[in-house]
This record gives sequence, C-alpha cells and structure tokens, in this order.
Amino acid sequence: MNNPTNLKYAKSHEWVKHEDGIAVIGISDFAQSALGDVVYVGLPTVGTQVTAGESFGDVESVKAVSDLICPVSGVICAVNDELDNAPELLNEDPYSAWIIKVENVTAEEELLDAAAYEAFCAEEE
Amino acid sequence: MSELKRTPLYDAHVAAGATMVDFGGWEMPIQYPTGIVSEHLYDRKHCGIFDVSHMGRLIVEGPERVAFLQKVLSSNVAALVPGRAQYCIIPTETGGAVDDAYLYMYEEDRYMLIVNASNTDKDLEHFAKYLPHYDCTITNITDTYSSIAVQGPDAEKILKVLSGGVEISGPRKNDLNELNMEGRTVRVSKTGYTGDPIGWELFTDAAEVNWLWHRLIELGAQPIALGARDTLRLEAGLPLYGHEMGADASGAEMPIFAVSLAKFAVSFAEEKADFIAKDILKAQKENGTAKKVVPIALIDRGVMRAGMDIYKDDRHIGWVTSGTMVPYYNFDENGQILDTTGKRSIGFAYIDSAVSMDDVIEIDVRGKRLKAKPVTRHMIQNEPPYGKADVSI
Repeated sequence: MNNPTNLKYAKSHEWVKHEDGIAVIGISDFAQSALGDVVYVGLPTVGTQVTAGESFGDVESVKAVSDLICPVSGVICAVNDELDNAPELLNEDPYSAWIIKVENVTAEEELLDAAAYEAFCAEEE
Repeated sequence: MSELKRTPLYDAHVAAGATMVDFGGWEMPIQYPTGIVSEHLYDRKHCGIFDVSHMGRLIVEGPERVAFLQKVLSSNVAALVPGRAQYCIIPTETGGAVDDAYLYMYEEDRYMLIVNASNTDKDLEHFAKYLPHYDCTITNITDTYSSIAVQGPDAEKILKVLSGGVEISGPRKNDLNELNMEGRTVRVSKTGYTGDPIGWELFTDAAEVNWLWHRLIELGAQPIALGARDTLRLEAGLPLYGHEMGADASGAEMPIFAVSLAKFAVSFAEEKADFIAKDILKAQKENGTAKKVVPIALIDRGVMRAGMDIYKDDRHIGWVTSGTMVPYYNFDENGQILDTTGKRSIGFAYIDSAVSMDDVIEIDVRGKRLKAKPVTRHMIQNEPPYGKADVSI
C-alpha cells in the first residue's frame, strides 16, 4: 500500500490532511479498493455542520452503498463538485480526489499515521 | 468457507485474482481485478465469458418425462422439438414461482433442465412431490457437466475459430447444436442472460471446461463475474429469481404474471392439459395482478437498491426489486459504437399495476425521496452486433 505519510487516517478509512487550519478529507486506497467501482458520491452542501464519527455523505459502488464518516467536527467550507461527474476519481487517485474541506475544527477522532493505518488494514483483510 | 461448493473453474478464478464470495452455497467470483464497470463494458463491446457451472443441470428421462414436465413447468413442453430450448417457470401451488428455468431438448429421449444454483435443492424437493406419479427420473449432473456462457459482439467470431468455421447454431434464439471444437464435443444453445444480440451458452464435460475457458480467453474473450452478470441482466430487463420473482419485500408471494416474461413462459395450450396452479395462473392472466414488475429509471441523481420503498403522491405503492448504476457505451447516429461511456441509475420495481408509463414515482433512498419513472426498456437488443443502451427516459 502506498499511503502518503503526510496524511492521518481514520479507522473508518477516511484520510485527513491539515492545511492552514482546514481539514481536507477523502477516502483511503484501502477503502476505494474494497468498494470497487465508485459510481456515485452523495455530497453534503457547504455550510453543513459535521460531527466527528458521524456520516457526512455516502459513496455508492455498483455493489453497495457505504457511509462517509467525518473524522473531525467543524463546518464544511468546500465540497469537491468534480466528483458529481467523475466519481471514479476516488478509485483512480484517492489521495488527490478530496471530498470535503472542514473549517472551525473543534474535535477530531483518534487518527492513525500511515504506518499504524497500514497495520490496521492488514488486520482487517 | 470449506463447506461451499466450487465449480471446476474455481482455480482459474482465483489465479485471475477474482474476489470470491458465497453465492447460493457456491464459492464464486463477484469481480475480477478490472472491476464490474470494465467487465460490463467489455461484454457489450467485445466478448464476455461467464462460468455458469454452478447452475443446476438436471436430466429428465423416462417414458413419462413429457407428462411430468407438463405438470411441473409452466411452458408447453410438447411443443419443444429436438434442437430447441424454451424458457419456463416452475409454479408453486398458489401461482407464484418456485424458480425459473430453461428446458433444452438436445435429444429425442431426454431433456436437460437448468435451474438457479441457489434453488437446485429446493427445486428437487418440489419435484419429488410429483415425481412418484410419473414413470421418469431426474438426475442431477451439475458436478459432471459444466457450462460457460459466451456473449457479446465478438462471440461468433471467437467460437467459429474453435468450430473450424462451422456455423455455431441456427439463427434463432433458443436454437441448439452440438459441435466438435478442436476435437472436443461441445453443446451450444443460442441463449444468454446479458441481452446481447449475439451470444451462446456452451456445455461440456467438467473435464474439458478448463480447456474451453482458457481457449476462449486466448481468442480474446474476457471473464465476467457475478457482479457484472447482474448489471448486464438488469440492463437487459431480465428478471432474477429472489428479486423479480419469489417473495416480495414484505415476504408475500409474487404472482407469476407480475413479470411480463410470463406471457412467453406460461402456456394454456390444450395439449398441456392440467398443470400446477393452472387455474390461478389463468385468472392472473385474465384479470391482471395487483402489482407488476416494471423497469424503472431514476430521474434524480443517486442510486436505488433492492428493498427500497416506492411512493406515489405519498401512498406506498411497492418496492425496488433490483437497482444499481450501470455503465453504457455511446453510439453515433449511424449506430457505430464510440469510445465514450456514461452511467445511469436503473432498476426494476414491483409496484401497483395502476401506475402508468407517464407517472413519476418516488423512491425512498435512505430517507431522501428521489424521483423515478417506469420505462419501456433499458436497452435496444435487436440491432446486432451491439446491445445498446436506451437512454431516452
């Protein structure tokens, strides 16, 4: 697995990148691989309050739907609209295809670094 | 998963990197590494091969085989002639479906009946109730006789390499043939579960099926697993037992005539005489059914799934029976296939028969009401060589 070391990972398989007080959130390579072809992303709207550990949207593969769990609490300040027309970006390049950005972050789930996350995924397989 | 059954192609699936799942008691591939979308598209543009060896293959023979099959199947078995196959439904005593099946007449003195893998044991138990009254036998040859479906625009070209240029079968749907393919005996049937205008199902001894599978791949076919098999049949508008037949989401039995295919599968011909649930089925045909199975397309963005509730003007009218997002190729105005693709959210619904084609219905997708509508078809299937998406909703 090639999980960037500058990101933090949730056990629900989202990644978080902290950029100038904003949390950028996407799904991991493990997650996209387990999902299979992503065909639709149910995106939230800008301004929505999100809570760490709770759903902020969903991803649909051909086979099934999965909740997107927000690793942080805060307010959504940007949504990657590109995923509306190209949900497959989550498969093709999961670490570039961010899903939401969250500002006013007040809380954060327990997050793992890349090495700990890889060990966690190895156990899940 | 040691208790799961495996087809003779199990090792080939694992070697190809397939994700294996429990499918009706069989350890089967759900997808290969390229994924469901790519498998679906390859089948529509080139040629897909499917391991369907898990399906139940039953031989019915003996002096009273026709009378027995007339009793337990919905179709007119006496109308079948050697070299032909027919689609049929196995009715319950109350007018629902035990299963749906295909009956093949390769030889004068016996029939092969193919049933759904997960229903094989249940079907045999059901048949056992009637079999003692007839002088005939049922032999389950699933483990010794295997099957591969070969579907898509390149299917004929590929199979003709193996047959040495000999025509694969007659031109009609349900035509059968027996061929010599590079020294092996292979039976073929011009049938399939993809809606592709070109395609056959092949039958051969279990000992030969790995040879056949690998030769088909060498000649340009690509293995398609159960995930894409489901999106292909959904796009083709073909029902699946357990979704469009059997029990509905509330657990109630769905009448056979709720499915439009029943028109072709149920015969009231005089020579068929009495059969299981004949009068109930006749009433279903004449009076219609309270609910019917119709293809639907989502108008709003999202994905519908089996079991979701459907409403019209806030009245609950039924459920989604199958649904997902399905990929398709675009075609130019001359019918030439393009490299560009799209995706659409389609499915089947089991809804009040009063709903018309012009109605807009609402599907409860995880708490959100999304608009959808009935459509006449998802796909154009009569313009070979391609099965084309009908995206005009």
